[in-house]
Amino acid sequence: MRRVRELLRYHEMIVNLVKRELRGRYKGSILGFMWTFINPLCQIIVYTIVFSLIVRSDLDKFYVYMITGMIPWLFFDNSIRMGSGCIRYQGDMVKKIYFPREVLPVATVTANFINMLFCFIIVFLVLFVSGVGISLKALFCLPLIMMVEYVMVLGFTLIISAGTVFFKDLEHIVNVLLMAWIYLTPILYPITSVPGKLSWIFKLNPMTYIIEAYHAVLYWKTVPTAVVMSRAIVAATVVLILGEFVFARLDDNFAEEL
Amino acid sequence: MSAQYVINVQNVEKSFKVYLDKGTTLKEKVLFKKRARYESRQILNGIDFQIPPGQAVGLIGKNGCGKSTILKLLSRIYKPNHGELSVEGRVSSLIELGAGFHPDMSGKENIYINASIFGLTREEIDAKMDDIIRFSELEEFINNPVRTYSSGMYMRLAFAVAINVNADVLLIDEILAVGDVSFQKKCFDRLLEIKDGGTTIVIVSHDMDQLYKICDRFIWIEDGQVKEDGEPRLIGNHYLDSMEEARLERLAQESREKFSQIGQEGNPEEDASRGGHTILELTEYVHPEARRFGTQEVYYTKVELLNKDGEPCQIFSTGDEVVLRCGYAAREARIRVNFNMDFVRDNWQYCYGSCFAKAGEPLPELEEEGWVKFHIQELMLLPGKYYLDIGINGVNGELYDNVRNILQITVREYAHNEFGPCTFTHDWTLE
Repeated sequence: MRRVRELLRYHEMIVNLVKRELRGRYKGSILGFMWTFINPLCQIIVYTIVFSLIVRSDLDKFYVYMITGMIPWLFFDNSIRMGSGCIRYQGDMVKKIYFPREVLPVATVTANFINMLFCFIIVFLVLFVSGVGISLKALFCLPLIMMVEYVMVLGFTLIISAGTVFFKDLEHIVNVLLMAWIYLTPILYPITSVPGKLSWIFKLNPMTYIIEAYHAVLYWKTVPTAVVMSRAIVAATVVLILGEFVFARLDDNFAEEL
Repeated sequence: MSAQYVINVQNVEKSFKVYLDKGTTLKEKVLFKKRARYESRQILNGIDFQIPPGQAVGLIGKNGCGKSTILKLLSRIYKPNHGELSVEGRVSSLIELGAGFHPDMSGKENIYINASIFGLTREEIDAKMDDIIRFSELEEFINNPVRTYSSGMYMRLAFAVAINVNADVLLIDEILAVGDVSFQKKCFDRLLEIKDGGTTIVIVSHDMDQLYKICDRFIWIEDGQVKEDGEPRLIGNHYLDSMEEARLERLAQESREKFSQIGQEGNPEEDASRGGHTILELTEYVHPEARRFGTQEVYYTKVELLNKDGEPCQIFSTGDEVVLRCGYAAREARIRVNFNMDFVRDNWQYCYGSCFAKAGEPLPELEEEGWVKFHIQELMLLPGKYYLDIGINGVNGELYDNVRNILQITVREYAHNEFGPCTFTHDWTLE
């Protein structure tokens, strides 16, 4: 609790680091902030070509299904990739100034979260252009789902960022894991096409519930089921508490280890 | 915890793990498990001090004694392994300048980032913005990206932010060397202002003059412990003397090695000219630059430099009493000689010389061995480093023994209005 209050006292630092992250990332490049959209768009186009033209799916307007899962996934993926080094690469700052160390992962995750919000412009464009449309009633659940995902991503990032300080390989291990993880989450195919023998993996994967909730709201235009939502919330809470616990155990030694 | 202290440090210990051969990758961790040995290096060894509000304290000590570690403990970057440490109020540290600067963002945006890292809120930063920009003297450039700044401008901006953070406790680590001379003076004046405003300051520096001007108190750290604690001038002098002693000891060690090597190799020519008498036998504190010449008809056997209490000493203040006492031996009794000595400054400027007998007076007649004493009532040399030369000459100026640069003496710095090698008794008056 004390740590949370301390973190809130440094809200201005978080705000500024997020701004620096968002504005600084593409400064100096010609297309600038447009890259925020171009990047996921290109990934989506590639996946769309592969998964709707080559590997056929029987879902109607499969590319919509894929995009609604892919944008939230990219938030998860980018946060963890960037978050893994967020303390190590700002070692100079950590070694020389006091601030609650959580500021760094929180800022990284928040910057990526805001990025995702911008990318939702693409999602809604696709929903309208494709004729899938939206359901207002279902859409009310979207902010809640986003918040749950934020909490979960933050939890994972706390663990990974602290772990990387002591064990540098974690950064690369995480990259490999993320590459496999996307295939263990129902993004590139519907969960119904997963064979029964493997379904336990999907059930253990906390991201399954998050992505399923997004699919429900955006693709199926229904309120997600209580089971999906409650599991997502429980999983996110557990991950965050575990993350903060690990982080708090390790952060006393950051300055010495870096 | 008593309320009259802002900083309270009690019996604090801190050690670091020093890996002898650290493997950080998985392969190394698994394969070379035994190699991940580390030794624990004790940096602080039970430090105790309390600082009341508004006091400016200078931490002094040689490199690696733990000064910077103390600052990092106070700023909460490190946690002590043992002991109690508390600091009340907002702590700001001038340890790292320009933290979080992004080269592509403007000076103004970077002020927000940097100041927020010190824990300021947006309102506080807005209120200080004008002060910060004025202090940095970067009004014209404040909207340009920081990457277009010169390194001096960059540091000025960084320092302007750091020094405008209103803190209850300010920690400073050796960073008052920012920008050109006039900006340095401005920083220094600002620091004095902050001090007058009642901020508690803890500063680490090797610039003693700067410390004397700011600090009310010195804490001298040695080997992870508080060695002395008190009035700046007093502690400062003790510290400088101890540094000087350590330096002279190192020099002596160096010359022992050097001269014993020469002795082993044997230089017949030199040995002959010195009659086999080496420099090392004269004194323990011989300087490595020492040279000995002469026929050794009469020769020195010992050299002692003593203070007014008769203790061996090589560090003096202007005005001190100094005694030079030399043992001699002669091959035959009743030989007549003249003793002489002189001081040469370390830039080889000849400063002072004296000999036993005045011109025209008869030279003293010697026993086979004995002592000659040169008593200086008041040392008139001004601060600096000087070499002592000693010599023995015969009736017709024959060079019996001559040792150059045998000892180095240090005359301490003090607040003076005199320059050059020597002092005069003097007055300045207006008429």
